[in-house]
Amino acid sequence: MTGQPVLSVNNLRVSFATRDGLAPVVNGLTYQVAQGETLAIVGESGSGKSVSSMALMQLLPTPPARVTGEALFEGRNLLTLEEPEIRKVRGNKIAMIFQDPMTSLNPVRTIGKQLIEPLELHMGLTGNAARERAAELLDAVGIPSARERLDDYPHQFSGGMRQRVVIAMGISCEPDVLIADEATTALDVTTQAKIIEEIKDLQDRLGMALIWITHDLGVVAGVADTVVVLYGGRIMEQAPVDGLFDQRRHPYTRGLLASLPVPGRNRSKKLNAIPGLPPDPLRLPAGCPFSPRCVHAVEVCRSDRPDVRWPLDDHAVACHFDPDELYV
Amino acid sequence: MTEPSKDPGLTEVPTVAHRSRLRTTVETVLRNRLAVVGLVILGVLIVTAIFAPLIAPHGINEVDIANRLSGPSTDHWFGTDDVGRDVFSRVVVASRVSLQVGLISVGIALALGVPVGLLSGFYGGKLDSVLMRLMDILFSVPAIVLAIAIVAALGPNLVNAMIAIGIVYTPIFARITRGSVLSLRDAVFIRAVRSLGASDARILIGHILPNVIAPIIVQTSLSLAFAILAEAALSFLGLGVQPPNPAWGRMLSDGRGFFQQAPWMAIFPGLAIFVTVFAFNAVGDGLRDALDPQQRSVIEARGVGE
Repeated sequence: MTGQPVLSVNNLRVSFATRDGLAPVVNGLTYQVAQGETLAIVGESGSGKSVSSMALMQLLPTPPARVTGEALFEGRNLLTLEEPEIRKVRGNKIAMIFQDPMTSLNPVRTIGKQLIEPLELHMGLTGNAARERAAELLDAVGIPSARERLDDYPHQFSGGMRQRVVIAMGISCEPDVLIADEATTALDVTTQAKIIEEIKDLQDRLGMALIWITHDLGVVAGVADTVVVLYGGRIMEQAPVDGLFDQRRHPYTRGLLASLPVPGRNRSKKLNAIPGLPPDPLRLPAGCPFSPRCVHAVEVCRSDRPDVRWPLDDHAVACHFDPDELYV
Repeated sequence: MTEPSKDPGLTEVPTVAHRSRLRTTVETVLRNRLAVVGLVILGVLIVTAIFAPLIAPHGINEVDIANRLSGPSTDHWFGTDDVGRDVFSRVVVASRVSLQVGLISVGIALALGVPVGLLSGFYGGKLDSVLMRLMDILFSVPAIVLAIAIVAALGPNLVNAMIAIGIVYTPIFARITRGSVLSLRDAVFIRAVRSLGASDARILIGHILPNVIAPIIVQTSLSLAFAILAEAALSFLGLGVQPPNPAWGRMLSDGRGFFQQAPWMAIFPGLAIFVTVFAFNAVGDGLRDALDPQQRSVIEARGVGE
């Protein structure tokens, strides 16, 4: 970890009130991210990774959502800020990029108007100055003839181009933290690679902290400094990217990595899937959330929930066992 | 997917790409013949209403007892009524009342219904329940009965008739707006705008309203037709425009008693109502087709084929 954390999340819990009771979706998430650092939050759908970032920005409707814990940013707890205060943080200090570039732009407003919006809101830019800045931003994310394209509508852009526009909106106020929620998932691999490069480049230039939410371990390997593996709303393993990929201390991490296709491997061989489904938040197992799917699970896994341990200074894992006890 | 800017084959034709939404809409409407007819009729109507006193050959209350109940002639194009007033002049002048009632009462319905629908759809929950149940109550009473009740309570005159018609049509706008807002409330782009720090008011007015405006515009043009009919009905019942001022519904009702001897007394104001309502409906239909994106591509594809 480098330098002081810009954002530190402590024991974040999110649950939703449903007809069948309170569904805990994020259960005690803790992480820090420093300036210029990239933190990847990895998990299957339903693991609580998107919800946790929405909760930081107070973007979840409450009720039904209930958010507790702490998210310290510039000495203040984001989770308890009043609406006008959190609005000054959103888009300005902490910005988000959403998954689907096809739906994250307003179809009836021009790109220019949408780009100008955060500039108006947070930097007080209007008229020509704002337009000028909007054109600069489009240019910065690699959209050719940016100035002419300001008056185009979203449907006149391709998916990759739209995601660039969305990124331009995200970085328009030079935020301290950028949260990319599956920002490249909807794009094809070549576009994905370009966009990732673009974002990394912007991160270097602006010194942003980057929180990269994804289920794609391939992307994680390419972008992250630190990785948090989430399962059932809990941290399973947290480590620097190399340590995580080398050691794979948690059986879930191991399962995820084993399920990746390997180039050159016998094509007729099936991919190694983890059997079973992610847990229903309403019926979380009493013990380790992964125990029903874990091939190594024993009695203690089903009865006692493992605490997060730190076997190494920078490596956390929530498993009763050490890897050498499991993988002989 | 390659980036379109680098692959000219994938970019849209620039002439299409740079057309604004307004222009595309107007062009699509103009491709619909019925809508064009409606627009022309409306144009004539508006001109007639504005210059009514200049167009009308006789005064609206100019009595010519000697020529009472006379049929259409070169002097009295639409004939005369039971006290010898020129029907044509009265129909022309009454167009003012009808258009005025239509515009103002639909304006009232818009001003009340759209905010109710926006708030209701956006915030949901208790506010939604309370507002929409109120709208349901208004909606459950037959429109004309409700209008009669309101006018009866406030007193029969034109202003009260407009207020009554406006209130009667409020739930329609509230419902249409709410329905469209509901489908947008959880849209990703709304979440994205919120994540950029926009306030609720800004999101509602700047982002949601422009996205739900199409069905509202269509409903406006259709409601104008209904409002004119409602005014005719109220005036027919003696609850709208008070004599001796002319209104189409009133003239229709007065002409009823003389239908055997002087059918023109009822036919011409009736025709005026019919043509006006038809025109608004035709334009409304055309607008709906033009503003509904799926319909629009069908129509545009047809245009390409021609």
